[in-house]
Amino acid sequence: MLRTSLYNQSQLLSRPFSVLAPLKATVKNGNKSVKAGKHAEAKVPKYEQLSEAQRAYLDRVIRVDQAGELGANYIYAGQIFVLSRKYPHLRPTLNHMRDQEIHHHNTFNALQIKNRVRPSLLTPFWKVGAIAMGMGTAMISPEAAMACTEAVETVIGGHYNAQLRVLTNQFDLEDVSSPENKKGTPQEVKSLIDTIKLFRDQELEHLDTAIKHDSRRAVPYKVITEGIKGICKIAIWSAERI
Amino acid sequence: MVMSSFTPLNKSLLRTTQFKCLRRLYHPASNEYVNPTTISPLTYSMDSIQSKILSHSLKEYVPTSGFNEKSILKSINDLGYSSSMMSVIGASNSPSFAHSSPAVLELIKYNLVSKRIELTKDTNDNTTTTLKELLLKRLEMDIPISSQLRGLFAQLATPGKFMFDVSLPELFQLADDMIFFSNEKDHHDMAWYSKRLAVSMAYVTSKMFMIQDTSNNFQMTMDFASDKVDRVMNLGEYYNNVEEYAWFTLMNSINLVKSQFSRM
Ligand SMILES: [Fe+2]
Ligand SMILES: [Fe+2]
Repeated sequence: MLRTSLYNQSQLLSRPFSVLAPLKATVKNGNKSVKAGKHAEAKVPKYEQLSEAQRAYLDRVIRVDQAGELGANYIYAGQIFVLSRKYPHLRPTLNHMRDQEIHHHNTFNALQIKNRVRPSLLTPFWKVGAIAMGMGTAMISPEAAMACTEAVETVIGGHYNAQLRVLTNQFDLEDVSSPENKKGTPQEVKSLIDTIKLFRDQELEHLDTAIKHDSRRAVPYKVITEGIKGICKIAIWSAERI
Repeated sequence: MVMSSFTPLNKSLLRTTQFKCLRRLYHPASNEYVNPTTISPLTYSMDSIQSKILSHSLKEYVPTSGFNEKSILKSINDLGYSSSMMSVIGASNSPSFAHSSPAVLELIKYNLVSKRIELTKDTNDNTTTTLKELLLKRLEMDIPISSQLRGLFAQLATPGKFMFDVSLPELFQLADDMIFFSNEKDHHDMAWYSKRLAVSMAYVTSKMFMIQDTSNNFQMTMDFASDKVDRVMNLGEYYNNVEEYAWFTLMNSINLVKSQFSRM
């Protein structure tokens, strides 16, 4: 059903920095049961079980990121709704960023179903809050909308970096199939890391775009950015838990 | 898997346990890991002595004598173990005045968990199984113990630790499994919750229907359950069932407390 195709989709997102990556990927990430050759059989690692703490952590990562991308998507939707008629020149930029947010959101939606993660119970509030935030700032001025984007993406960038730190440091599992039980990270977790890295880079591009579009000239800049940063941090804290 | 080698994450985990009722675990979706030895929330493997005793008891004695220590003891004797196994079996449950004994609670837990695992063990990713099929299959699994369902219900729904730690989580887990392993559409928002509540509700009401059903082969229960699932899923009725469910739990708890006291 859906589940297998979604797994492949997230695999496609892993993009190591190398021209040869596509060639390597077919060997390394391809469907193991089909590709398994003479020597490949023995090389498929079997890791120890994820601990409860690790599973609880992954559960939170997927829930909070799904909620966050939902919010981002709705913020841009609110901005586009208010700005696109009066400032048509901003339309392509905003649409491009929103399209990326939709892709981010869909990716985490797929992971939420595949890994049986509970979505945030506060989902209705994230929708209403994000649309209000997008429309509200856009109604002040285009610069204020950009300041909102700047603040949101700053917090999200930091949030993704914090997750990447834990995911790369805390998911070294023993490979039971190797001779001296050497450690490694399961492909599943690696692919999540690659997804988050890619998204983090795109969020930081959004941040640059916002600054290029005069976010710093918004009035009142400090109030908007600091206020929104605070709201985002509270939202992240609650979406992880509730 | 030494938990203590995992300090930073353990700490962050502890911080979230304040919302215990909402706690869930990520399900790995790849075959990169060794198979688990135990099936959570059981603390022993399916081929352990505990499992052998409990499944034998469930098959041979529970249908006639019910969920009690006698059924377990007979099974222990059949398999030739010492009667001290009784306390080993009950080890993971704390005694409670409302329930018969920790070992009996374990028997009840085993009954729920093993049947839940059994229900979906043959399904795969490209499943065409419908939610209704799974629900009916689960109800059929309880036909052999149908005369014991009333007593089982009383134990499951007695308000207290067991109800919150085992009965309700198992019920939600069952609903979650039925949705995940069937071709039922799943959701990313509140419908995720309401659908699970609706399925739990359909299951529990069908089970209550079953207690009173005297029809041949429980045909009336099966009809009732099919009808319930159809209405709930096709009309999107599950959006409204949250309130209904809350009422149901409350009324049911009150009735069962009353019946507990009248037995004493
Ligand atoms: Fe995003
Ligand atoms: Fe973004």
